[in-house]
Amino acid sequence: MAENIFKRWNREFTLAGAGILLLLPLLAIQPKTYLTLTIAGLAMGMLLFLVASGLSIIFGLMDVLNFAHGALFAWGAYVGFSVFQLLMKWVEADSVLQNLAVFLMAMAAAMVTVGILGIILERVVVRRVYGSHLFQILITFGATIVLVELIRVFWGPNDEVTIVPLTFSGNWDIMDVIVSRYRVICIFLGAIVYGLIQLILKKTKLGTIVRAGVEDRDMVQAMGHNIYLLFTGVFAVGAGLAALGGVAMSIFSLQVYPDMGGTYLLFAFIIVIIGGLGSVTGSLVGALIVGLSYNYVAYLVPWAAAGVNVLIMIIILLIRPTGLFQAGK
Amino acid sequence: MAEATPVQTFHMEEKRRQYRSGSFYLKISVVALFLLVPFLFPSFKTVDLAVQIIIFGALVASFDILLGYTGILSFGHGMFFGIGAYSMAFLLGKYGMPSYSNLALGFMVAAAASAVLAMLISFLTLRVKAIFFAMITLAIAELAIVLFTKLSGLTGGEDGISFMTPGIFSVEFSIGKLMGIEITGKIITYYFILLSCLGLFLAMLRFTHSPLGRVLQAIRDNTQRAEALGNRTFVFQSISITFGCVMATLIGCLYAMWMEYVNPESSLGVTTIMFDVLLMVIIGGMGTLYGGIIGAAFLKITQTFLPDLQHLAKDLFPDALLLHNILERWLLLFGILFILVVIFFPKGVIGSVKERAVRKKSVP
Repeated sequence: MAENIFKRWNREFTLAGAGILLLLPLLAIQPKTYLTLTIAGLAMGMLLFLVASGLSIIFGLMDVLNFAHGALFAWGAYVGFSVFQLLMKWVEADSVLQNLAVFLMAMAAAMVTVGILGIILERVVVRRVYGSHLFQILITFGATIVLVELIRVFWGPNDEVTIVPLTFSGNWDIMDVIVSRYRVICIFLGAIVYGLIQLILKKTKLGTIVRAGVEDRDMVQAMGHNIYLLFTGVFAVGAGLAALGGVAMSIFSLQVYPDMGGTYLLFAFIIVIIGGLGSVTGSLVGALIVGLSYNYVAYLVPWAAAGVNVLIMIIILLIRPTGLFQAGK
Repeated sequence: MAEATPVQTFHMEEKRRQYRSGSFYLKISVVALFLLVPFLFPSFKTVDLAVQIIIFGALVASFDILLGYTGILSFGHGMFFGIGAYSMAFLLGKYGMPSYSNLALGFMVAAAASAVLAMLISFLTLRVKAIFFAMITLAIAELAIVLFTKLSGLTGGEDGISFMTPGIFSVEFSIGKLMGIEITGKIITYYFILLSCLGLFLAMLRFTHSPLGRVLQAIRDNTQRAEALGNRTFVFQSISITFGCVMATLIGCLYAMWMEYVNPESSLGVTTIMFDVLLMVIIGGMGTLYGGIIGAAFLKITQTFLPDLQHLAKDLFPDALLLHNILERWLLLFGILFILVVIFFPKGVIGSVKERAVRKKSVP
């Protein structure tokens, strides 16, 4: 009987549980601070989603665990940084239009550059080791070292400070709750990207083929689709998503440094393990869990912030070893 | 004595052949060379290089148990190495004092702690997928670095901990001259490390050639089949991971004894230690154990003489700025080398030599 109830109200139980967990920090944090932290956490989660979703899609379709994803992320951040440097006048201009233009241009430049980099990486390096997880991890780890060192060659080994476009900086003060503008932009950015991915996956023919590929690669090939071309394309898109995350995150954290990919790659790993490798929705949920919990804990117990995500990951692994969501959803 | 079974005759045959083969004498001469290093090349730089090769050779062998014999990639191996180093630093420096009992205690505490941790990690991850092991160990290793850096009150933070080794291992100790060379505590430490690593290496060799090691290779090559034959893959893999990690920890203890200093980057670092170890194991050959020594020798010698190479390049081509930039980023070169070796040379040096030997034998 009890089992039946659980089965029937499974979704509602889950949602209620998630809601309670979300409100739990209120016991220790002032409501206003809590709201600010929640928005910061959502923004961070959305940016992490951009990184994790690419990783997850690549794994889902190609069965490749891309350790070079973090390096691609850092490349995106650096390309965006260069565009900002070139168009410094527009960044500092007090006009929403110019700011938005330079922001979009930075993202477009980063996505294109890193997308091409992703194609090269897939064609030259990853393609040779399909089917062997061990060699994939080894070779993409090697690629990470090369890509990060190339950043040091091109942009120098030092940390650089990034600038928030003028009209994006500053805060809104809504009923005494301080809301940073850029964070809201990040939340919108993440939501738009999630919507776009879902739209492409669910409503277009290409998306259908990709989803079919996640389910059964050989069958898709047998139906006459060139799966290797699809692999290259998906790898490029995944790399582009990482680059997008890199640009947005470099402005969010106000700095770029060559090793930045490593830090966010770990977040991405934790997220895809929580959400389920290969699932886009899982990445979103995982990213929001990680972003929110990181922000709450960083406020309450600063030194434990790095550990709480690993802890959540371990708990999820114990309860649901394959992650919260199934692949291909 | 009863008639020997076919298996026993085979083993006896193999043993007899062992003393006739060239590789056996090669191994003996390598050990002899390392024994003579302090007398042949008394400068500190060479002795230090020799220690680095010994330590990393053994570390790579312990990593090879996981990678080559079990087919599991761990990014936490550097962390286990660091656990050993830090437990030495805690017991001899920060929370204790240099004494023989603390030294012995350091080895034991480190081994126990890492055995528990390795078992926990393997229980958590192995029930999912082997690739999760790489991701989760990377996450935990990075977490360890962050914790050891941030909790500076407990661990010395980024500055690390310096400490002294006790009695005959300490720098001041000296028993006088032998063949014109002063036998200091450093040289005694050198021999201690050499003999300990040799012992650990033999233990690992024994482990991989035991029936258990053979089951591990079966699991690596075909998990489902090994399971169908009635082997509990999970248990075997856990044992192997724990064994490899404990070995790494003990080697970390020895490393700390030589350095008399630990800090998060040099003892726990993922890019600093793990990439070196991966490159060494790939160059030497996975699943060979001996490959680690070749890989370690190659990489450590290159790293030691790289500054000289840079100077040479500057003297020869003073105008080639690009060349200087690239040589300064030697990690870039190693990264490219790593990718090339994985693509074109996945068996490494020892693996390729073995393959050639087998081919020669099969084609008379």
